[in-house]
Amino acid sequence: MASNAVGLFRNPDAALAAAGRLKAAGFAALDLISPIPLHGVEEALGKKSSVIKRFTFFGALFGGLSGFALAAGTAVLYLHPTGGRPIIPFPPFLIITYEMTILCGILGTVLGFLISARLPVIRERVYVPEAAVDKFAVTVSCESLERAQRAAAILREAGGEIVGAASSREG
Amino acid sequence: MQAKSSPISYADVNNDIVRSLVVTGPKYYITLAAAISLTLICYFFPWFYQLYYGIGAAGMNHPQVWGTYLASFIFWIGLSHSGTLLSCVLHLTNSAWRKAMYRSAEAMTLFSLMVAASMVAVHLGRPWFIHWSLPYPNQMEMWPNFRSPLLFDVMAITTYLTGSSIFIYMGSIPDFAAVRDRTTGWRHYMYRLLSLGWRGTDTEWHRLGWAYTFLAVLIIPLAVSVHSIVSWDFALSVVPALHLTIFAPYFVVGAIYSGTAGIVTVMFVLRKYMKFEKYITELHFDNLGKLLLALSLLWTYINMLEVFTGWYSGESAELEALEYKLFGKYGPLYWEMILFCAVTPLLCMFKRFRTSFVPMLILSIAINIGMYTERFLIVGTSLSRKYLPDAWNSLYVPSVVELSILAGSVALFCTLFLIFVKIFPSVSIYEVKETLPAPEKGSPQWQATQ
Repeated sequence: MASNAVGLFRNPDAALAAAGRLKAAGFAALDLISPIPLHGVEEALGKKSSVIKRFTFFGALFGGLSGFALAAGTAVLYLHPTGGRPIIPFPPFLIITYEMTILCGILGTVLGFLISARLPVIRERVYVPEAAVDKFAVTVSCESLERAQRAAAILREAGGEIVGAASSREG
Repeated sequence: MQAKSSPISYADVNNDIVRSLVVTGPKYYITLAAAISLTLICYFFPWFYQLYYGIGAAGMNHPQVWGTYLASFIFWIGLSHSGTLLSCVLHLTNSAWRKAMYRSAEAMTLFSLMVAASMVAVHLGRPWFIHWSLPYPNQMEMWPNFRSPLLFDVMAITTYLTGSSIFIYMGSIPDFAAVRDRTTGWRHYMYRLLSLGWRGTDTEWHRLGWAYTFLAVLIIPLAVSVHSIVSWDFALSVVPALHLTIFAPYFVVGAIYSGTAGIVTVMFVLRKYMKFEKYITELHFDNLGKLLLALSLLWTYINMLEVFTGWYSGESAELEALEYKLFGKYGPLYWEMILFCAVTPLLCMFKRFRTSFVPMLILSIAINIGMYTERFLIVGTSLSRKYLPDAWNSLYVPSVVELSILAGSVALFCTLFLIFVKIFPSVSIYEVKETLPAPEKGSPQWQATQ
């Protein structure tokens, strides 16, 4: 039966150290819940990479192409020759292209963020309300009760104030 | 920023910001009621009057077809410029002093943009056809002309409004989660929805950090492009005193300048009336004062260039427009603008002035009066001094309807901002905490976590 162990810390360094010890002991499903972004998480839990930049890049690329297509397409659909100028002039259409590049880049970034951060939350996940104020929580998801007890022992040794199953809320 | 020796604890920050959202005194309701009433009386009523009797109810007539509506449009777009732009620049440069003030500055951007967009609708004789500016297949087989700077405007402002809204929302998600846990009833459901289930895990912080930085990188050039494009509305016309290549940087600098002054005004009000003295300190006013000084010098330089370029061109139409602007019927307004935007801000050279709250408030309002005058002069003096002297006798004076809508636009902005301060945490909870020392054994922060 899956089980969770949660350790609450009053200092971020203690929480990071506990997370590092759990990682070294072979616990992979770790979360460090904190009221602020912590420096040094990657040293404790390993390097993180995200796909957001790809969403930003392809969003911007899509926006640029569709922006130019929009401007050029409308010019072709509604021909409006003026003073012998080209039907598809590049300088003004590049402005539309530029704006659409940024617009879709922004939308792509948001989409990438939501997907990679797994938001909005649909299923219930372990949540520690104190960690939104002034505590730092280390949560471990374990496949068995024994493993959870072992994780709880490590957290206790590392100075965790409360160690036990967390309240499971919608977050 | 508010200091390593500050006794503020993490819990204090949560308490103070949540209090600003849920504890509402009679003063707030009276101010909100006044702002809503003024919006209805000064903004919507004259607008409906104008719609009923026609655009002639405004004081505009040929050749003055832009009037205060477009001056207000440029003004509000300009005011929107420092909020998100400054926030992005300071985020990328990792400036800690940004953290207590950026949320309100971004809100200023958002609401200024909304008011600016509404000024376009007011300026249209038949705003119910505003959707004609959108590219969609229609029964008239008409498509918008993307070669027109007005369409550049539509695209740029839509993008900036979208980008600014997303930027302020993304930065607020962790704070919505913090407030969610402290509220009940409809507020709890609202913040639960807005926080998207944020828990504050290391992965969520990591993703937010990246996304926020990407957004900042995208929004900086966007903000610069928006006011450049607004300047091209004028510079791409063949009108003396408007057809200048300096216009884009001139508008961008002016926009950042008036926006920074707007931030000073907003910070003063928040500090005093939302009781954020602990978070918005002399340091913020000091830094904003330095920024105002730098921007005022830059703005003055560009103004001198504009005058010099017009004079050096030697063209009779340019010289006539220049003389009219400096010494014509609107001359006193020009010199008032110079006094407010070029001379008075030199007081910011003195630290004592920069760190005095009331003088800084007065200066920020004076700068924005001067900047509104600048926009009025751009619109007012150019169209009444074009090539044909038959138009030269006209003197454009705004009608009561126009002046009322101008005053109403300020009330509309205040209404939106007053609603904002009760929904969004107007000071960022998590970023202010980042500037505080982490709880160490024996420290006041440690005691507070007991």
